[in-house]
Amino acid sequence: MLDKPASALRLRERLLDSERLMEETGCYDGITELTLRNQDPLKFETLHTKLRAYCVSAREMARRISASPGVREVGEMVVAIYTPEGDAIALSNGIMVHVHTMSRFIKWMIKNNYEDNPRIREGDIFANNDAFIGTVQVPDVMDVVPIFHEGTLVGWAGAVCHELEAGGITPGGDVCLAQERFTEGLFVCAEKIGENDEIRRDYVIRCERNLRMPIYWVLDEKAKVASCIDMRESVKQLISEIGLDYWMKVSKEFIEEGRRAQLARTRQLTVPGIYRGHTFYGHVTAGKPGFQLLGDPDWLYNIPIEMEITTDGKITMDFEGTQPWGYHSMNCTPAGMDGGMFVTLTQHMNFEGLVNDGAWMATELKLPYGTWTNPDNEMVATATSWALLLPAYGVFQRLLSRSFVARGFVEEAFVGQVNSPMIEMGGESQYGTPFGMAHFECAAAGSGALAIKDGLDTAYVGWNPESDMGNIEIWEQSMPMVYIGRSIVPNSGGAGKYRGGCSFVSTWLINKTSHLRLHTSEHSSRVFDNGGMCGGYPAPTCQKHRAVRNSNIHELAAKGEPLAHAPGIDPHVSDYERNIGGDHVVVEGPYITSPHKSGDIFSHSYNGGGGYGDVLERDPIKTAWDVENGFLTRQAAGQVFGIVLKDDEDGYPIADIDATVERRAAMRKERLAKAIPVADWIAKERGRVEKADFAPEVKKMYASAIKLSSRFTRDFSDFWNVDAKSIFTPGAKP
Amino acid sequence: MTSYSKEVIRDLAAGQLPWPQTRRIMSAYKDDDRFFKMVAVYQDRVAWKDPILLPVSDHLFICQSGDERITRCECGHSFGDYRKNWKLNAAIHVRNTEEALREIYPNSDLPDPEWMEIREFICPECGTLHEVEAAAPGYPIVHDFEPDLEGFYREWLGKPLQET
Repeated sequence: MLDKPASALRLRERLLDSERLMEETGCYDGITELTLRNQDPLKFETLHTKLRAYCVSAREMARRISASPGVREVGEMVVAIYTPEGDAIALSNGIMVHVHTMSRFIKWMIKNNYEDNPRIREGDIFANNDAFIGTVQVPDVMDVVPIFHEGTLVGWAGAVCHELEAGGITPGGDVCLAQERFTEGLFVCAEKIGENDEIRRDYVIRCERNLRMPIYWVLDEKAKVASCIDMRESVKQLISEIGLDYWMKVSKEFIEEGRRAQLARTRQLTVPGIYRGHTFYGHVTAGKPGFQLLGDPDWLYNIPIEMEITTDGKITMDFEGTQPWGYHSMNCTPAGMDGGMFVTLTQHMNFEGLVNDGAWMATELKLPYGTWTNPDNEMVATATSWALLLPAYGVFQRLLSRSFVARGFVEEAFVGQVNSPMIEMGGESQYGTPFGMAHFECAAAGSGALAIKDGLDTAYVGWNPESDMGNIEIWEQSMPMVYIGRSIVPNSGGAGKYRGGCSFVSTWLINKTSHLRLHTSEHSSRVFDNGGMCGGYPAPTCQKHRAVRNSNIHELAAKGEPLAHAPGIDPHVSDYERNIGGDHVVVEGPYITSPHKSGDIFSHSYNGGGGYGDVLERDPIKTAWDVENGFLTRQAAGQVFGIVLKDDEDGYPIADIDATVERRAAMRKERLAKAIPVADWIAKERGRVEKADFAPEVKKMYASAIKLSSRFTRDFSDFWNVDAKSIFTPGAKP
Repeated sequence: MTSYSKEVIRDLAAGQLPWPQTRRIMSAYKDDDRFFKMVAVYQDRVAWKDPILLPVSDHLFICQSGDERITRCECGHSFGDYRKNWKLNAAIHVRNTEEALREIYPNSDLPDPEWMEIREFICPECGTLHEVEAAAPGYPIVHDFEPDLEGFYREWLGKPLQET
């Protein structure tokens, strides 16, 4: 039992009191003056730096305990220190999306009277991976431990790892076949999993018996608990140095300072006003094995976002007009949406280190109830919520970037993150044992372009600013596949004055197994789920999968014949089809098929980012370098960018500047000749809208948005001068 | 206070500043005089005399034109009152066939034109491609940005705009 709270109030009352004070004063915990900061700013800053050092050090230590290549290699982990009420004071680098989701988890326990049962005591360990309590998806398993000082609860230490196997209906963690909660895997719903700093044996047994690869999860638990204990002991030592009263005050002042700093940064970097953007997501599962017929197999989601920046510096993001939740794994909870906002803010506005939950408090999310952002049914699956989160927060990045451009801070403008599909697998390993895992090389996609330079090639994802694809040799140790190719995908960045970052494609030979289940998720088929900015184009859609069953690769290798190491640049016929015999397979969207075996070949492409600016302004010399190095094709250089290349004496491409100028002038004329006034286009398209002359999935998307949002209905009706409701939902009540 | 010369800001905006220097600017505290310096850089770039009030895209600016505030292309073309969506006065080219999409994506899988089209918003005078929308057929054209121009100048810059 919590016997000696820091104040006379119990934790729940303290939390409610803190929320009331924020409501009444507009300041975190009612802190209207940063008294300690004003008294001794150097001591104040030094203490926060110490706390941040505790977090960074604890995470690095924990990564060396973990057995999972996701945590060890790619850094899929974050840790943080919290107030007694569960607000983040300081955090490490890593998957910072979870700093605020852990906050929700702690608050959830407090509000659900965990003080009484199961009780909160020194040495207790609590875990959670339920997104409706506070995480993003099932594989994001979080552990928190209370910090007591002489019997008083004075804070929490928390850690999250993304698990590579969660025991769902398909192996891995981003369980693509999950259509409702009950197929997502092993849930730990705000449970006490340990006491006296020791993880309970019965909990470990549950993990061992419900996961395909329990070593990852269980050793990650030990890594997380070790990091929490490390942070806890550091904080206790700090409190013994600075005194309990000072700690209780300064930890909260840090958060209020974080809130004020976020507002100040917004006023410094942006322009007030209303910003709008949208993205889409297409999901195609018709005819694929395993999907239950719970809803339409193919669907199209629209994700419109309106961002308002007020003159006091507050940022509000409104998702009104988006789609309802569905029987798929891509729903999200408010915790996940919070996390997406937080990790984006830490990258774009709060990169100075002094960042905590205060930044989140200076923002607001409007998540319409019943949509995928805030489901009105807690049975829905959220296993691949990143599929919609990433495109949505890519829009947020573009909206923020518009404000940076308007304010003159062009170096901060960034076209944004992309959704990069993921491979998961299970079955029989190369060692003859059962196994399961997610392959995290997806954590190194191409980024969107910047307003002053090209995007990052194979080096960025939105959820982890330390993006890393991991080491091929380490991945090969973990799965029954060996790499026969990993290369840049030409033209995978969106075209523009500055192109989006390119991504890569891997090709594997399945090896030493007779049963390998390969699944993929987070595919936006048939539509762009990213965008360009200021004239830049979106990056290509998610690419199709290519596999060869019963390939003759061993015979070819024995004869010394050429193989294929990448799909190539002909979208109609791949190099696999040209060079390798066997049964060729091309699959759009999620890859869900019968098991593979040794000798089969599988390839998977990741995504690049959107472009910035008019393509006809791209630097011809840089383009020649891009062609030489495989980032752009010669065909794209001429056809898309209007750049004429010739060969130097060694056969390398160089730009023909005069011919380029001439070609671009012609392309500009051609552009104008093809274009029509927007008013004419609207008049022409209006007839199509009136007849709802659209594909069934498009019509359904409009009907769903209209049903959920009066604003979307009004905006649509006003724009086309039609009655949207009568067109898309005939028979509905007016 | 951090501050850079107009020449540095000009080169930064043009993407011509050496990367180490750009990186230092990105890592340093922000320069509070940036906005007006950047506006001056843009003003030098355009041939017209209307004072620029706010950049809104790579080659689009809100400027004071007599008693009006309009969105203007770098070439001088006016897209009308800045409070209205400039795209409605642009020229448009829509790519909604495989053939038209293939021109931009020659070596990749394509979106389904029944599900998604690309809309290119072009200056009818100089042919600059100002914005690209990727949207489902029938989706209303989005009004990207409605700045609170008066609030910005009054409360954040401390230099209220003259009433029009």
